[in-house]
Amino acid sequence: MNSKKTMTLNLTDQEMRVLEDLSSQKDLSKTAILRQALRLYQLVDVKLAEGGKLFFEDQKKEKAELMVL
Amino acid sequence: MRVPIQIVDWATREPVQAELFDGVTVEHFLETQNEWRPVVVEAAKKMVQSGSPQDIVPRHFHWDWTSKEADLRILAFSFIGISAGGNLQGLMKLENAGRSGRIAWQKGKPLTYVDYLETAPWNIKPLMQALGRSQKFAAVGTRLIEAAVRKSLDEGFKGRLALHSLTTSERFYLDVCGMTAVGRDPAKQNLLWCEFTPEQAERFLKEGAT
Repeated sequence: MNSKKTMTLNLTDQEMRVLEDLSSQKDLSKTAILRQALRLYQLVDVKLAEGGKLFFEDQKKEKAELMVL
Repeated sequence: MRVPIQIVDWATREPVQAELFDGVTVEHFLETQNEWRPVVVEAAKKMVQSGSPQDIVPRHFHWDWTSKEADLRILAFSFIGISAGGNLQGLMKLENAGRSGRIAWQKGKPLTYVDYLETAPWNIKPLMQALGRSQKFAAVGTRLIEAAVRKSLDEGFKGRLALHSLTTSERFYLDVCGMTAVGRDPAKQNLLWCEFTPEQAERFLKEGAT
């Protein structure tokens, strides 16, 4: 296992509420939620840089391309 | 991470020292292409020629680990290998983001997904039988699934784990590991989605394969 570094994170009340809600819904610690977010962000970023596209499909099967900056 | 583990010598049934590691490189991918793939293809051809039942003919003869080189740099993926006797004995790719449970009471709960798991062909009995040789090592697949469960625990997923099983491996995941068969997935060649709940994963780590 890789050694881990500690950092301090400042969140607004709203951001903290969202983090706590996700932590509860997903049965994950807040740290694990943020690590998930980083993994997904990097994955999407790399795929987009390679020319990939990210879509959301709604229940009517209509696709909307998601822009990630 | 480099951890000493034990696998089993098939001929003597004696434990053999091996190493579990996560420092997988493109060299390991090349080793699978150069050392494993020709054996898998040769065995598959012999099995088809001799009329072996379809459900034991290997379905992974076309796998190409070298195509996953770019994934080595992605945090969402991790690779774990097992080596013994100077050779790669097993290799696995895990996805650690974006996957969640499909068992009714696990829906929406993130899990580690085993994207690819392959043991060296000389550790697969039907392949070696087709080539008139003996299997070399046993327990490589079990050690890899144990490592996948530990990765799930490390990610905070409480041991939750899932995979799409090739038809030739379903009995291993269901009967030997004790995973739950959730259903066939039309979006993935109708392969069977197998899943560990946290409780099943804990039992598997404690009691081992059955």
